[in-house]
Amino acid sequence: MISYGFKQRIASVVVYIFLAVMAFLSIFPFLWMVIGATNTTSDIVKGKMTFGEAVVANATTFFTQVNAPLIFWNSAKITIIATVLTLLISSLAGYGFEIFSSRFREKLYTLMLLSLMIPFAALMIPLFMLMGKFGLINTHIAVVLPTVASAFIIFYFRQSTKAFPHELRDAARVDGLKEWQIFFLIYMPVMRSTYAAAFIIVFMTAWNSYLWPLIVLQSNETKTITLVISSLGSAYYPDYGVVMIGTVLATIPTLFVFFAMQRQFVEGMLGSVK
Amino acid sequence: MNRKTVALAFAGASLIAITAAQAAEVTVWCWDPNFNVAIMKQAGEIYAKTHPDFKLNVVDFAKADLEQKLQTGLASGVADGMPDIVLIEDYGAQKYLQSFPDAFTPLSDKVDYSGFADYKVKLATLDGKVYSMPFDSGVAGLFYRKDMITAAGYTPADMQDLTWDKYVEIGKAVEAKTGKKMMGFDPNDGGLVRVLMQSAGGWYFDKDGKLSVEGNVALKGALDVIQKIQVNNIFRPAAGWADWVGSFTSGEVATVVTGVWITGTVKSQADQAGKWGVAPLPKLSVEGATHFSNLGGSSWYVLSGSKAKDESIDFLNEIYAKNIDFYQKILVDRGAVGSLLAARNGEAYKSNDAFFGGEPIWQNFSDWLAKVPSVNYGTFTNEVDSVVSAHQPDLAKGASVDDVIKAIDDQAKTLVQ
Repeated sequence: MISYGFKQRIASVVVYIFLAVMAFLSIFPFLWMVIGATNTTSDIVKGKMTFGEAVVANATTFFTQVNAPLIFWNSAKITIIATVLTLLISSLAGYGFEIFSSRFREKLYTLMLLSLMIPFAALMIPLFMLMGKFGLINTHIAVVLPTVASAFIIFYFRQSTKAFPHELRDAARVDGLKEWQIFFLIYMPVMRSTYAAAFIIVFMTAWNSYLWPLIVLQSNETKTITLVISSLGSAYYPDYGVVMIGTVLATIPTLFVFFAMQRQFVEGMLGSVK
Repeated sequence: MNRKTVALAFAGASLIAITAAQAAEVTVWCWDPNFNVAIMKQAGEIYAKTHPDFKLNVVDFAKADLEQKLQTGLASGVADGMPDIVLIEDYGAQKYLQSFPDAFTPLSDKVDYSGFADYKVKLATLDGKVYSMPFDSGVAGLFYRKDMITAAGYTPADMQDLTWDKYVEIGKAVEAKTGKKMMGFDPNDGGLVRVLMQSAGGWYFDKDGKLSVEGNVALKGALDVIQKIQVNNIFRPAAGWADWVGSFTSGEVATVVTGVWITGTVKSQADQAGKWGVAPLPKLSVEGATHFSNLGGSSWYVLSGSKAKDESIDFLNEIYAKNIDFYQKILVDRGAVGSLLAARNGEAYKSNDAFFGGEPIWQNFSDWLAKVPSVNYGTFTNEVDSVVSAHQPDLAKGASVDDVIKAIDDQAKTLVQ
């Protein structure tokens, strides 16, 4: 007869094999990217899977072909402004939806959630015309504006606000705080894990955003890193080593943000108020 | 938020706003930093020598990105930030010209088109007006390994006036004697069908741009050849572009059938110097068949909304329609073969290439360029092309060509309507 302990050991072996395969699948693209950055195009195409010596050559080509400081600054600027504005506006909206009731609240909220179902491709041309009317084509503010009221982040904040204790708000009111003070002085600090999780989501979305910046940015001076990598990769004979270097460099900020805020992210996802 | 904070936020917003460039300079959109982007910059430098005020701003996007931007811009009618000159791939030319009438400037009365390859001019003609400045050509040739052909018992002279039946026969001999395949072929890529079809003056569309699949002799002839190549197994299967390139750079196949732009890649293998030759394409066995065809290529277009229209047209005209030296430069520096026939009179075009055993390959390509049959690429080439590529594997399984054409026709009709 097979003992209980043996059965359990088999089960955990199976689980570990499964996890190992999954971990490999998640890590492999990153590994391949880093290895690719050190190889020449022809080695990459041949499927060479070991580190090569071309990293300096690739980096040199990248930095001569691309005005890297400007491009990274463009991306950083857009990302920081978009993240700050989105967190501020969307959390305020999510908080408002949950805390204050009115006759139209649920209808408005449903309407807003429905907007999540409209594909961006359908909004692109009207949005472009709108930006044209505002005279904002080829400006970074045009990239940021349509994203700051994010239906998903509002939804996320409303759900999290359900866990925000009424007692805290009531106590604050009794102590004479105004509504906006409650939001900025009580709600924001209490919900910091929620903000951290939202920060990561918004930061990554803004940093990696592609289609809308592509449509609205028109010159080499305003382009973001995602657009530059895309154009490097589309030559008739793309230099994949250079593309990989660019991709590695573009990944570093998101990696950094994620690892720096990993603990809060997990907490935020689990619900922040204890 | 109080009023001051709002005001501050707006001030911040306008600080990060960068206004579009002024009208005096000419802005160009194109897509390959090592090819058309670099070439356009060279053209700008040459033009600026005689026009000191001229300022060229070349912006590069990925090709698919550029098309998306161009379509959004033209469809929304917002002229802000649109370029003065844009590069469009030839297969898509009619789609843009017909979908956005008046968006592009006709150049017929400014440019002398008699100097260009006829098919390049026709593909950008709509209602009797020509809209393009023809740029790079994809005139096709048969690149072949002399050593392998000789080993199979044939001579380079045998390669000059081939039919595709003879080509298949040589392919079998090559495999029997050398163990090498005759060509690299990607069953999921429709490029070869396009080359074959145009060599007999046919396309997926007739001269009026109407879908023409059933009853199209050129397409039938092309698919016949695709079937023979697959059934006789004289090809080395390739998965994607990079693998296809690898099939000949690694010396696994005896021939390459494609556009002239591959020359640089063939020559990149220095150890194969002297082993290669270039012959005209083999001929289909259908009416109207020739040894000449094309794969790919693109042309410059001037937008009607441009604020620097006259400068743009004059610039294109001076360099691309007249400057023979410029064409020598881009051939040597970038391996670009333009569409201006007179370019052959320059130094670079006259030189013989030692890599190809001293053959006058540029004079040959120039001869063939002038003879490429003109076809109407219509408005849905890419759509029909994807249907055709999807059916190529059926031919390998022995499906009759007529049945496959019927199936392509049915699917293409739903796409095109």
